[in-house]
Amino acid sequence: MGAPQRPGSDHNRIVVQFRRDTADETSVHLATPRGLHAEPDTPTSPAVWAKGLTRRFGRSVAVADLDLAIAPGEFYGLLGQNGAGKTTTIKMIVGLLRPTAGTAGIGPFDTWKEPLEVKRRIGVLPEEFNLYERLTGAELLDFTAAMHGLTRTEAAERRDELLALLDLEQDAAKLVADYSRGMRKKVALAAAIIHRPSVLFLDEPFEGVDAVSARLIRRLLRGYTEQGATIVFSSHEMHLVEKLCTRIGIMEHGRLTMEDTPEGLCRRMGAETVEDAFIAAVAGVDERDGPAWLGTSPG
Amino acid sequence: MVGHLAWLKSRLLWNGLRTDPQRRVGFPVAVIALGAAAWYLADRYREAMSDLSPAAGRSFALWGALALFSVWATLPVVIFPLDENLDPAQFALAPIDRWKLVTGLAVAALIAPSVVVLVLLLGTNVVVLGTAATVPAAVAASLLLGIQMVVGGQLFSTAVSAVLRSRRGRDLAVFIIMGIGLSGFAAQALIAATVGELGLERAVLAHGLDGAAVLLPPVAAQNVAVAIAGGEPVEAALSGLVALAWIVGMAWGWMRLLDWMLTTPTESPRPNRAARSRGMAGRAWGTRKVLARKELRFYLRDPRQRLVWTGAVIFVGLAAASILVGTGSLAVFRRQDWLPLVAPALVLFVGLPIALNQFGWERNAASYLFVLPVPPRSLLLGKNLATFAALMAETTFLAVALAALSGGWSTLWLVPPLAVCSAALQLAVGNVVSVVTPLRLPREGTDVFAQATEQGCLAIASQVVSFFAIGMLMVPPASVAVLTVAFGEVVSPWVAAAFAVAWGAVFYLASIWLAGLLLRRRLPEVVQWVQVS
Repeated sequence: MGAPQRPGSDHNRIVVQFRRDTADETSVHLATPRGLHAEPDTPTSPAVWAKGLTRRFGRSVAVADLDLAIAPGEFYGLLGQNGAGKTTTIKMIVGLLRPTAGTAGIGPFDTWKEPLEVKRRIGVLPEEFNLYERLTGAELLDFTAAMHGLTRTEAAERRDELLALLDLEQDAAKLVADYSRGMRKKVALAAAIIHRPSVLFLDEPFEGVDAVSARLIRRLLRGYTEQGATIVFSSHEMHLVEKLCTRIGIMEHGRLTMEDTPEGLCRRMGAETVEDAFIAAVAGVDERDGPAWLGTSPG
Repeated sequence: MVGHLAWLKSRLLWNGLRTDPQRRVGFPVAVIALGAAAWYLADRYREAMSDLSPAAGRSFALWGALALFSVWATLPVVIFPLDENLDPAQFALAPIDRWKLVTGLAVAALIAPSVVVLVLLLGTNVVVLGTAATVPAAVAASLLLGIQMVVGGQLFSTAVSAVLRSRRGRDLAVFIIMGIGLSGFAAQALIAATVGELGLERAVLAHGLDGAAVLLPPVAAQNVAVAIAGGEPVEAALSGLVALAWIVGMAWGWMRLLDWMLTTPTESPRPNRAARSRGMAGRAWGTRKVLARKELRFYLRDPRQRLVWTGAVIFVGLAAASILVGTGSLAVFRRQDWLPLVAPALVLFVGLPIALNQFGWERNAASYLFVLPVPPRSLLLGKNLATFAALMAETTFLAVALAALSGGWSTLWLVPPLAVCSAALQLAVGNVVSVVTPLRLPREGTDVFAQATEQGCLAIASQVVSFFAIGMLMVPPASVAVLTVAFGEVVSPWVAAAFAVAWGAVFYLASIWLAGLLLRRRLPEVVQWVQVS
């Protein structure tokens, strides 16, 4: 990897401003630099990469010699069955789990050599709710903004905008512990993007989110990638993957076994939908019936 | 069902030992430490009983049972948890009869290193009280006492957990803990004074646990053996019935409390008005300052951390009791001008659980914190800032209270530099310990005091070692302070103050450099160690 390159000047910045009154899911408003800026590091290097990434837990291999290159602006779906190694891979890329071998990084930065440069450029929506439950929603966003070096004014403006956008204004003063599952997802998403990262890692971002908010989030994320940000998206909801992702990687037993666009994947597997293609890719056709006792009427 | 819960607990213990290095180290340490303590107590009990006349021995046995029961029940709440309980919330939807559930939980609670204490002490009780003819009664008494200890201990920690679930309860908890501490202290002082004055033989004969006292749960249980030894089989049978009734009553109370706790949500702390309206963007801003403000909020909002910081109040209570009531040697402190200077040392006890485990309290949120682009040294500095502020507030409160009690206002000015030194040294040791051996705290279950014994033992061991390390480091500045206040200002007060601050600063700076370096290298390992499954 080459020497680190600093983010570009203002004219390179791409800005998305969110408007709640937009009814059309696909529309995105380009606006002033007050909103979120996705700042690609350099157009030549992949936004997210891994080389020979391996992680063993005792004798079992969670991730095996994984090579990955995700281009800036891609909406990349990382799919796999439970235990395929998706979360372990993301943890190693963001610096939460030390690889047994290989390395990974963001843009020109190696996670394990320049962790702070990597962390400045990423936003993470974790699979589990490892949030600060005893902070209020507003406090959590302020805290995250401060840790990312935003000014007090910037933090307050973005916090208010995000809380309004995600319909959390009325609950901003409640502790995260008192939030519903969907509200936690939304506040975690707000915290992940408040510093306008160039790469977003999203693990099941729509789980537990109501339909209205889900549409809003989809619009937000799509607009964000259109402006140059990269999103790595892990989900088991295949219709969303089909709708959002520009490229899909399928993991099996810690290995990346297939990579293609949604259309390409369907073509290769001779399937009509991404769900069918995914199932055909990882499990083949499963004709097994359930256990016999489940076929009897419940007593 | 009871067998299933016992199997579950043993399986969890075994799996924990297989996969968790903290437990692999802590388990034998806990067994050895608890075994040694129990052996010492058993030996003292046996020795005392052999020196006493039969009548005095019987009275002493009743007192011993009462003391053992009280300490067993309250110690987990006051000092550290003795047992890791199965969380009843995980069985809330299972079709389990409530009586079977509490029986199973009680049996499961015995599958822990702390059972070595019960076995040794109750075994000694059988040996000491049982003759050839009375062994069955001694065994029955010890069994009843053992069951009472387990059920009573669970009931007590569940009751305090229930109190901590409400906002008002969290404010009351400090008084409950202080009350236990004060009662324990007062009882110890009273017993020591009486035994010192009359001797053990005459003291236990003069203050026998008879009359209504026989109805107390541990006394009734022990009286089964004592009454048989005294040739009173009817009294023994009645005592057995009373002891059984207490077991059923305590189990019923425990069951009702669990029922209530499993169907009533915990009241979250209510952020104050300023926090509600402004979030955190209203005041001191910047990575370290905001991190410190987050920590300070958690000191108030996390019930366990809140209890940690109430330690100073307990010390004030104990100091006030010892000085005002006057118990032998402690009463001489009342006239000492230098008493406020003790405050920085006493506060060391208060802050240790947090200073030595800066990242353990993050639990799973550590993974949230560690993906933020904050240099490791800034993480430590932010957390230290909060701990330092809390330590300063506690020291000031304690020093002023001690000055008011002793009239030692003239030495109060030396408290701030000594407090800075003491806090700096505590953080210096704490930062390195926090990074090298972060301690995983238990998942917050229904019983907030449930924690693996071996973890508690590790925490206590690391705190004792660290406390002595900090104490050794405190010797030079404390010596200079003594030269200033006790020997007619042999050393200028300004020199003493400057030396204390500089001494603390040197060690703190060295530690923050080293701990920052270590944290940068060990960050993923620290996350793994503190994550709660």
